[in-house]
Amino acid sequence: MSEPVGAKNPAVNQSALYKRAIIDSVIKLDPRTLYRNVVMFVVEIGSVLTTLLWLQALAGHGEAPAGFIGAIAAWLWFTVLFANFAEALAEGRGKAQAEALRRMRQDTAAKRLNPECRFEKGKEAVPWDYTVVSSSQLRKGDEFYVVAGDTIPVDGEVIEGIASVNESAITGESAPVIRESGEERSAVTGGTTILSDWLIVRVSANPGEGFLDHMISLVEGAKRQKTPNEIALNILLIGLTAVFIVVCGSLWAFSVYSVQVAGAGVPVTITVLVALLVCLMPTTIGGLLSAIGIAGMDRLIQRNVITTSGRAIEAAGDVDVLLLDKTGTITLGNRQAVELIPVDGTDIMELAEVSQLASLADETPEGRSIVVLVKERYGLRGRTVGPSESVPGMQFIPFSSHTRMSGVNHGEIQIRKGAADVMYAHIRASGNTVSDQLKKEVDAIAGAGGTPLIVSKSGRALGVINLKDIVKGGIKERFLQIRRMGIKTVMITGDNRLTAATIAAEAGVDDFLAQANPENKLKLIREYQTGGRMVAMTGDGTNDAPALAQADVAVAMNTGTQPAREAANMIDLDSNPTKLIDIVEIGKQLLMTRGALTTFSIANDIAKYFAIIPAAFVSTYPALAALNVMGLQHAVLSAVIFNALIIVALIPLALRGVSYRPMSAEEALRNNIIIYGIGGVIAPFIGIKIIDILLVMMGA
Amino acid sequence: MVFREIVSMGKKQLRPAIIIFLLLTVLTGLLYPLVVTGLAQLIFPSQANGNLIEHDGKVVGSALIGQPFTSPGYFWGRPSATSPEPYNAGSSSGSNLGPSNPALIDAVKARVDAFHAADPANTLPIPVDLVTASGSGLDPDISVAAAYYQVPRVARARNLSEQDLNALVALHIEGRQFGIFGEPRVNVLSLNLAVDDLAAHRISLPEQASQVPPGKYTDVIIFGMREADWIQLILFFAVAAALIVPLGGFMAGVYTGKPTFISPVTDPIERWLLSASGVKADEEMDWRMFAVAVMIFSVLCIVAVFLLQEVQQFLPLNPAGLGPVPWDLSLNTAVSFATNTNWQFYVPETTVSYLTQMAGLAVQNFASAAKGMAVLIALIYAFSRRSASTIGNFWVLLTRSVMILLPISLIIALVLVSQGTVQTFSGPVTVPLLDPVKDSSGNLITTQTISVGPAASQIAIKMLGTNGGGFFNANSAHPFENPTPFSNFIENLSLLIIAAALCYTFGRMIGSGRKGIAILTAMTILFLPFVGIAIWSEAGGNPAFTSLGIDQNPMHAQPGGNMEGKEVRFGIVPSALFSVSTTATSCGAVNSMHDSYMPLGGLTQLLLLQLGEVVYGGVGSGLYGMLVFVIIAMFIAGLMVGRTPELYGKKIEPREMALATIIILIPIFLILTGSAIAVMTALGRAAVLNPGPHGFSEILYAFSSTTANNGSAFAGLSANLFYNLATAVTMFLGRYAVTIVTLALAGSLVTKKIVPVSEGTLRDHRPLFILWVVFVVLIIGALSFFPALSLGPVIEYLIQIGRGVIHV
Repeated sequence: MSEPVGAKNPAVNQSALYKRAIIDSVIKLDPRTLYRNVVMFVVEIGSVLTTLLWLQALAGHGEAPAGFIGAIAAWLWFTVLFANFAEALAEGRGKAQAEALRRMRQDTAAKRLNPECRFEKGKEAVPWDYTVVSSSQLRKGDEFYVVAGDTIPVDGEVIEGIASVNESAITGESAPVIRESGEERSAVTGGTTILSDWLIVRVSANPGEGFLDHMISLVEGAKRQKTPNEIALNILLIGLTAVFIVVCGSLWAFSVYSVQVAGAGVPVTITVLVALLVCLMPTTIGGLLSAIGIAGMDRLIQRNVITTSGRAIEAAGDVDVLLLDKTGTITLGNRQAVELIPVDGTDIMELAEVSQLASLADETPEGRSIVVLVKERYGLRGRTVGPSESVPGMQFIPFSSHTRMSGVNHGEIQIRKGAADVMYAHIRASGNTVSDQLKKEVDAIAGAGGTPLIVSKSGRALGVINLKDIVKGGIKERFLQIRRMGIKTVMITGDNRLTAATIAAEAGVDDFLAQANPENKLKLIREYQTGGRMVAMTGDGTNDAPALAQADVAVAMNTGTQPAREAANMIDLDSNPTKLIDIVEIGKQLLMTRGALTTFSIANDIAKYFAIIPAAFVSTYPALAALNVMGLQHAVLSAVIFNALIIVALIPLALRGVSYRPMSAEEALRNNIIIYGIGGVIAPFIGIKIIDILLVMMGA
Repeated sequence: MVFREIVSMGKKQLRPAIIIFLLLTVLTGLLYPLVVTGLAQLIFPSQANGNLIEHDGKVVGSALIGQPFTSPGYFWGRPSATSPEPYNAGSSSGSNLGPSNPALIDAVKARVDAFHAADPANTLPIPVDLVTASGSGLDPDISVAAAYYQVPRVARARNLSEQDLNALVALHIEGRQFGIFGEPRVNVLSLNLAVDDLAAHRISLPEQASQVPPGKYTDVIIFGMREADWIQLILFFAVAAALIVPLGGFMAGVYTGKPTFISPVTDPIERWLLSASGVKADEEMDWRMFAVAVMIFSVLCIVAVFLLQEVQQFLPLNPAGLGPVPWDLSLNTAVSFATNTNWQFYVPETTVSYLTQMAGLAVQNFASAAKGMAVLIALIYAFSRRSASTIGNFWVLLTRSVMILLPISLIIALVLVSQGTVQTFSGPVTVPLLDPVKDSSGNLITTQTISVGPAASQIAIKMLGTNGGGFFNANSAHPFENPTPFSNFIENLSLLIIAAALCYTFGRMIGSGRKGIAILTAMTILFLPFVGIAIWSEAGGNPAFTSLGIDQNPMHAQPGGNMEGKEVRFGIVPSALFSVSTTATSCGAVNSMHDSYMPLGGLTQLLLLQLGEVVYGGVGSGLYGMLVFVIIAMFIAGLMVGRTPELYGKKIEPREMALATIIILIPIFLILTGSAIAVMTALGRAAVLNPGPHGFSEILYAFSSTTANNGSAFAGLSANLFYNLATAVTMFLGRYAVTIVTLALAGSLVTKKIVPVSEGTLRDHRPLFILWVVFVVLIIGALSFFPALSLGPVIEYLIQIGRGVIHV
């Protein structure tokens, strides 16, 4: 398991974080920036207005006692400050991470290869091939040389050499990783260090455009753009704010009229109307909305995923189809021997022994798995024999792509194992016949999705080894969860249909694409998209790049090739293909938190009406006291205080996100309606009453 | 740039607008009423001409129109609030006095005193219908209890035995219609004619008739309501439910161009209309073009109706010789009818000619309803089409909507005539009064002039098209407009059946009938509690009367409850159901005076208007309004399940949210600012009839009703320049601003692809989501209007139940 970036930096001091957030929340009062948050901007205007009314009251011309107006004004200011604090805190956590990352990005020396320098394949650079420059001078397309002990100055692609690299600074993974030229593991990240050997790297990003830079600007929230859902929600919140402005404005006229016709009482004060307005406006969600967005990004980064846009996270919540590579994601990655089947009357122990011999020199995982099976099932001790070691009388034949067989010669005896077609040829070439039983066993294994290996001794078939893809433990349960989230899983594999179908059934995926290649992957994604589905996929190879570019949510492995990383909109630093599931969950959680707090915010209003309306008009219509179901004495102030404090109370929820576990849409809706809808109706009745009791006890 | 584009669109649509308007006027304004009149005069000549009673060869009155009786020797009818004399059949009206108005309490007290003065020996509690004014001022009936109550006085004055009179009353009891509908009742005029006959020994009583005891019957009470009331309610919902699928499916068939049973008749008419106006049926419009067509047509309608009222004195079919309508009132009326509101500041009997009613107002009843339906179908296309750009052709949809409304109206009109709704081109009928009465200035009035006219044809579409504009001032409380409990049942059914069935049409057209039924269910869940509260509130009666010796208990022999502004033939439950139906839909027809409802009864009406007319709502407009709420509900719900919200496969994104929010905002803004301006201006305050919070409710109701295009009123509010113009503005914007933004929404939705349902999709027809929609509708309405309502009906209620204890 890797450590998240933030957690790995104990330098992030909690109290410093809070201190900074408090200062920032005051700075954020500046109307030139606050106007972007319409709800809070209106609260600020209300705060200014009530403050002026308070000053007027202090001068002796107040519409209400100065103490009352002052208290309302103060709590309105607190409302804005609390919302600012939430945002500042969310940003602060990101900033702390950004600081840690930025330290890694500090200018380092770079050995830029001279333009005229030509090197041969496999040839290490020599000092007169390069010029030492600052990393900030490197441009895309430049080439540089790094050797053990150097820090890789910028992001790039390895074009020569092989080296072990310490990437713990960004991934938190302490084990070094291998970086080499070629398809698979050619991307290196600026800020990581070379532990051994050397590399020649071509720069893939200009300064300020690399991964670290992306990550830094994202965690700081500087580049955070509002996502479509956030914009839509913001529109709704502005609409509700407009409704309540009209409600409170017209209420003043109605109040004046009511005083006239009832001939009693005084019209409602501006202070109370402003208080009512602020209480009714969706300040809870309005105050926490941007914090939720920033925190969502933060959670993603804590799981070591970098995204190039907030939209991608939101899109992740909408994903209908998940394309997953079989190897490494669904299966352990290698076939393993699970069974030995003797044929033509061969003794099982003989088959076991011969199989062991045939695999002793086989360093592939398949070969190892045969040795392990024989040892565990048939009690034959594994003899440690390497291909380089010479055992007297034994001549090991390694696997070659030419013969597609491997084995051992021991004097006259030739032991071989290999795929069915080549082994059939081998048996026939030795003058033996392929028995019906052998054919039957081979077909049975292939039919069940396994890979049959035939073992022969001196051209005579002894039996068949069944190699099977082993599905990762717990993956089936994981897919079940995904299905309950409403997402269809599709396995992508180069295997033939039969094998693919078997694995698919065993792993519990919904569908599979067999004999996958870049073209049919792309076609599959397009088909889903034309049908209106949102598609997510993971990939690492260059041949995945077209499909990644087409997918709505594309996660590239950090170990992947540069084209794959560029085509994706997210990069998983841990290179863990199942991370996609986490990403989907974060995306959903982000939307759910917004929805839940919106519901909560609106549901709260019912109690606030019952608090403020009777208090506002009881002088005109004493009978309205019947609506004061909470029996409040400081109704208006209590409601305003509750409204402000609830923002603070919900900051942790906004930063953490509502609890999420995979469930159907119906269940999720029901749970959230019960907690945030019904809870949102009830909670303020209790909260406002408690505040009122406290105010009474304090003798306010 | 955009302006020039709109002008060029407008030029293109002007010709079809004018021609279709003229052809529709001929079809629905002239041919349709002529056909109804012809058939009515042929099949139901007596009913179509006013159910006149002949006695000894002379016309002595109408069986449906009450007459005033003040002599102790006659049975007295319901108090009448018409002016200048009671039972003025040329100007029907209720008192519109609110339940807590001291003037009402004083009037009732005076009536109680009058009964006691006329018969001091009778100390029984007085049946409530005898001391409360009817909604029409022309109620021909009193309750059975009210008739028996008067027997001792009449017997003494006439020197008749009480036993004989009791028998006579028993003979004149009309039971519930078909044993089901309405209240048992006694027609006062025919009873009094019989009393005269009996006193003059012109008739004798049959033997067994005198055996009928005068006592009160008991009625089975189930959950606080009489068995008969339950039967009427359940029957209503059962019949409505049974009609949804066939009617909704039929409409879907018409809109999709499938042959239906009426297409042999309507298809040629449709083709003729469209080809005459140069419209190509397959030429689709984008939302802008559609909106331009709607607006040109609407403005044309307003101008035409306005002008028609100004020149009606020069035109035929004006037997009463009515002059031009004042410009502000005329404008108000024109906007009112073009917007499907049918708010009526004018008194129809004395303001508009038959021609204006038929060729002006009734045409609008068809056209405005058809416009609403056309816009709805455009929105349905927006959901059902994938990645398209057009939302249908307005002229085609308009014409098809008229083709749906016209045949059904024809049938309803004839059913109404069979019940006694008039349908004639003759002028007012004058009949002698049996018991002459003094008017408010002390002149003796000996005759009654009864307004008639081609009413049934107009009333049918008034109900069916959720228009609500009465042919007579008292609207569906008027005995000619709504003669029997069965006609009331039909009217109530027809005012919400199209709007309700359109839900199913919607479902069918987007490919899933149950999605339509889901919306209908949400509407019904919203509807039922309002029905319950209104019935409970009205059946409870007015607590201010309890100390006056008045019997308000509902039982077999009397409806009881709050009978001020209600008709005896309907009683409490059908009146309350009608009031909730008419405010829930945007109909606005009334069979009882809303101003005189108890505070909570009035609250149900006000709140239903303020919810945005989405509980069934106007034909077309109700469902498209509801769909906007469904969009908002789905947006929040979608967030809560962690997915970009999608409704019927269409993703809801910022543009849709912006438009939906604006649509929700428009009525709230209009109602509250309109009311605020009204209470702050002298003219606004001057129009109020009832004092205190109830007066405020009148203002709030006026702006709620006009903005929501309902048209019903707390009718105590009187017309003046301010209200004529202010409500013209709220009606216009309440209709067309919403229409245009709705079309923009349709234009945005139609371009989207349809996301297939996956496991993660929040299903938009499941119970939980339906309840969530209900909650969202209620909370948006409640949050917007609770403060205003608390200064109106809420405080009136609290004061009335006497919980006004001051504790600060």
